[in-house]
Amino acid sequence: MKKPITVLLLLICQSGYAQVSYERLVNAANDGDNWLTYSGTYRSERYSPLDQINTGNVKNMKVIWAYQMQPSTQAGNGLVETTPIVVDGIMYLTEPPSTVTALDARTGKTIWSWSPDMSDEVLHIGFPRVNRGVAILDDAVYVGTLDAHLVSLDAATGAVRWDVKVAENSSGFALTLAPLAIEGKIIVGVSGAEAGVRGFVDAYDSATGERLWRFHTIPAPGDPGSETWQGDAWQTGGGSTWLTGSYDPELDLLYWTVGNPAPDWNGDVRPGDNLYSCSLLALDPDTGELSWHFQFTPHDTHDWDANQIPILLDAEFNDKERKIVALANRNAFFYLLDRETGEFLHGNEYSKQTWASGLDEAGRPIVLPGTDPTYDGNLIWPSLQGATNWFSPSYHPETEQFFVATRLMGSVYYKADVEYEEGQPFLGGGEQALSGDDAAGAIRALDVLTGKQQWEFMLHSPPWAGVMATAGGLVFGGSNEGNVFALDASTGKALWDFQTGGAVRTNPMGFAVDGKQRVASTGGSTLYVFGLE
Amino acid sequence: MKIQATLIAILAFIVMPARAQSPLDTLTEADIADGKRLFRLHCARCHGIDGAGGEGSNLVRAKLKYAPDDESLIEVMGEGIPGTGMPAFWTLDEKQATRVAGYVRTLGRLEAEEMPGDPLRGAGIYRTTGGCPACHIIAGHGKGIGPELTFVGDRRGLDYLRRSLIDPADAQSQTMGYQDYLTVRLTTDEGSVDGLRINEDAFSIQVRDVGGVVHSFRKDDLIELKKVFAHSLMPEYGQVLNERDMDDVISYLMSLRSDQ
Repeated sequence: MKKPITVLLLLICQSGYAQVSYERLVNAANDGDNWLTYSGTYRSERYSPLDQINTGNVKNMKVIWAYQMQPSTQAGNGLVETTPIVVDGIMYLTEPPSTVTALDARTGKTIWSWSPDMSDEVLHIGFPRVNRGVAILDDAVYVGTLDAHLVSLDAATGAVRWDVKVAENSSGFALTLAPLAIEGKIIVGVSGAEAGVRGFVDAYDSATGERLWRFHTIPAPGDPGSETWQGDAWQTGGGSTWLTGSYDPELDLLYWTVGNPAPDWNGDVRPGDNLYSCSLLALDPDTGELSWHFQFTPHDTHDWDANQIPILLDAEFNDKERKIVALANRNAFFYLLDRETGEFLHGNEYSKQTWASGLDEAGRPIVLPGTDPTYDGNLIWPSLQGATNWFSPSYHPETEQFFVATRLMGSVYYKADVEYEEGQPFLGGGEQALSGDDAAGAIRALDVLTGKQQWEFMLHSPPWAGVMATAGGLVFGGSNEGNVFALDASTGKALWDFQTGGAVRTNPMGFAVDGKQRVASTGGSTLYVFGLE
Repeated sequence: MKIQATLIAILAFIVMPARAQSPLDTLTEADIADGKRLFRLHCARCHGIDGAGGEGSNLVRAKLKYAPDDESLIEVMGEGIPGTGMPAFWTLDEKQATRVAGYVRTLGRLEAEEMPGDPLRGAGIYRTTGGCPACHIIAGHGKGIGPELTFVGDRRGLDYLRRSLIDPADAQSQTMGYQDYLTVRLTTDEGSVDGLRINEDAFSIQVRDVGGVVHSFRKDDLIELKKVFAHSLMPEYGQVLNERDMDDVISYLMSLRSDQ
């Protein structure tokens, strides 16, 4: 009985408790026993290099331990969308709305837990009370809170190091994303476009919490891109930045995605392309200056945020070695861009859509007439939740496969008149989704360089859970119906599944403890850790 | 004896205590219209622009799982529902929440219509010629293969009830977009099972056969999974009942209301 505690103490003594240097984060891909950032690595591949669990033995996988999250009494309820990180035998996860908990990754026993002192009246307009995880750097853990603070916690005890207000929650700002830690800096984005906020990306000094720069995703008059707005619409233009970005340490560029323009469904009040909504930004992490941008959905009227995970990969494309960023967009198109220049390399439809006839040579969608929302309703695929959403895709660097959980659902989109009022929904319409038997979900494998579908595994309903590929030839995923499952990465055939008893709304992640590979997922409010023994 | 039993059943509804006062009783038409405006602003993103559901549940129904009465409907808006995506809308003041509740109740409520026949006689036909208790439960009596009909008058009007008797396949209801009582045929190498879908995920399906027995299958074990949409196990009663009997049965079903 004493052995685990002894080992734990040894770990603390040997490694220095949760010391995660920047160099360690850069080399995360070679450290499969740990899961050091939201998407596993700066490249956001969500790929586990561990192969102890593989196509031959995954059928024997079982629950090793489970952790039941505690409904917070402070600020009501929420949904679990967290990806844990694991460092040297300690797991750090968030619980809704903004609690951080450290667990013994061997047993699931709690080490510490911290909750912000947050008002019950916290605003979260357009999304549930969620948090997607933490970042770790050196000996601190970083969390964004629903009331729009960024907090640094001591990794060993959960004690607050510093706490800064990122933005006014009373205007509709919130932080739901896992922050991204780079050298000496913590990068965050905000939620709030459904309240008509003006979005931004921020960098903070990891040691002091001092804000180092802010990049506004909606340009002010006179700034580049402001010609894509008219009148005062930019002031309430949306463009929130609510999902963790990626980072290329060699190019020293941050890749951050931007959400929908506001109001969502009534584009009449904001003529123009509405930059940089529904775009991917490449930012200089030292200054916050924009290096390049690519807009997936100009003048979006369907709430198709581009807040999906940008995956970085290097490959030969058209006989030329390229540094690429790949993104499966909510608008149902899959994109490859040159991540040095932003040049459009390739795009194709990867999921059912009825709004564009394709992409032009520059990657701009060729929008079909009559596809905007109307006062009487207009049936379009995909639904406003998109062909995919925030939940993560995965990339297998050896087989060059891109895996994406996709939602096959259409919606009747409505337009409505709308006026901005601070701290109130700013939507301009709504949808009536074609759910149930008229909808479905699928895990799809794409050849990353052509976007061609290799296989699909059908799901009963459009999913809210991401995927993770492993070196064991497996793709892990989850369903609304509570299934956690493993597919054969080469065929899409299901090799293992487990009924968790609650909807899976998280991304799988992997780690090892005591030399034993583990895979974590959730069902409802319970975290499950699976393994062979 | 049968008629007496029915009379007692109907009397039981009549002598039920009068409905308690609801905070929605004082709402005006203008209040309900404002409730609709607020609903579209705050609720439609999840519940659909007309309340028929999406990421949130379908509110176009007489009874709501988490809001059995009007007070609890207002309370749910103020406090949210733990473990679901339903947040606490503290930004709505009590007056606004009451108006939204008033609008939500209009979605699932049917105003009493004039009955085409004699409900008392219809009750008898329901039990005898119709043979309806073989598949439906009313106030605890009958067999639960098809939908329970205890307060069917709350949620189904004259036109729908007539359609469901004459052409049941054309009157299928849905829950969150899934057809209720979907007929399925499941074939394994040991034979076939016909039944009604109870639940389903990517890996398994559960069905109830006409004998009430529940079967569960791994989809991997099925040779064929056939879903028969726009089909119902219920007989077409246009062939069974004459026009008067039909009107009387419909009237009986219309009379089964929780506020009677």
